[in-house]
Amino acid sequence: MSNDERWTETERRARELFDASVDGLDGETRSRLNRARHAALAEAEHARRSPWRTWLPAAAAASVAMLAVVLWRLPGDSSDRSAASAEGTPAAEVVELLATSEDIDVASEDPEFYAWLATRDLPAPNGAG
Amino acid sequence: MTRSASLDFAGPDEETTLESATTLDRFLASVERRAFRIAQMAVRDRDEALDIVQGAMLRLARSYARRPSEEWKPLFYRILYNGIRDWQRRGAVRSRLFGFLPGQRAGDDDDGPQEDPIERVASGDPEPSRQLMAAEAMEHLVAALAGLPARQQQAFTLRCLEGLDVADTAVAMGCSEGSVKTHYFRALQTLRDKLTEVW
Repeated sequence: MSNDERWTETERRARELFDASVDGLDGETRSRLNRARHAALAEAEHARRSPWRTWLPAAAAASVAMLAVVLWRLPGDSSDRSAASAEGTPAAEVVELLATSEDIDVASEDPEFYAWLATRDLPAPNGAG
Repeated sequence: MTRSASLDFAGPDEETTLESATTLDRFLASVERRAFRIAQMAVRDRDEALDIVQGAMLRLARSYARRPSEEWKPLFYRILYNGIRDWQRRGAVRSRLFGFLPGQRAGDDDDGPQEDPIERVASGDPEPSRQLMAAEAMEHLVAALAGLPARQQQAFTLRCLEGLDVADTAVAMGCSEGSVKTHYFRALQTLRDKLTEVW
């Protein structure tokens, strides 16, 4: 048997075994795959009905970044800020928190809250609270 | 017109949207079992494989359902392999963190993901001995595949087992068609050498 023929046989046999293993899937696994597919279809429908969900996380991330910059650049006594920064002012804490946020996609889970949050006046960085 | 809740795509372009939903349903149904087996061969755990396939289906539906359906298959397998790679990375981190503990090393876990090879073959065969032989042959294939570098595994799995052409395999792997051919050729050489004797 030539090399080419053996390679062809290897491919054919591998495909045959793989197909048999797919055909032999148990009922529970098939059922779970079926449920997963329906969940995916529901997700597709949801995405179609709520197209803002696609861009909201990016918009939320941009808003948060802008908010962080604004908080950082707010006018104030520079000497107070230097001293306060070392102790961890609210502004610094917010910036650090935002910078280390691992999952900005939380906005998509409760978009109304974040939309409301974006409209609120924020307290001064050195203020109480 | 009767339709299931999940396919309730009412709207101004209702017919088109319903057709798209049906097309996506058919596509996912056509790949879900094969994708599951591919994931299971890679991670050797049924529940993890199911999670990876479900994640890939959700991601495709959420982000790429509006793309032309001809693009879905390579995209889906690219997402699937990303999921497998992420799972393997998390496993590597777990191994580094907990590998020194008794029972945490690879192969030490008696309740681990290793499954009976008989589960891997079709149950319709009336001959138990043939089933067992097929199961053993499948085990050899899975073990030989596991010994390949990741890119060669992907090339062989997508080209040979899943039947993608070179262009789609290249999209799924995120590389050139030339690289696909090279990876596939090397994978096939190694598999032939390992499997010819045991098959």
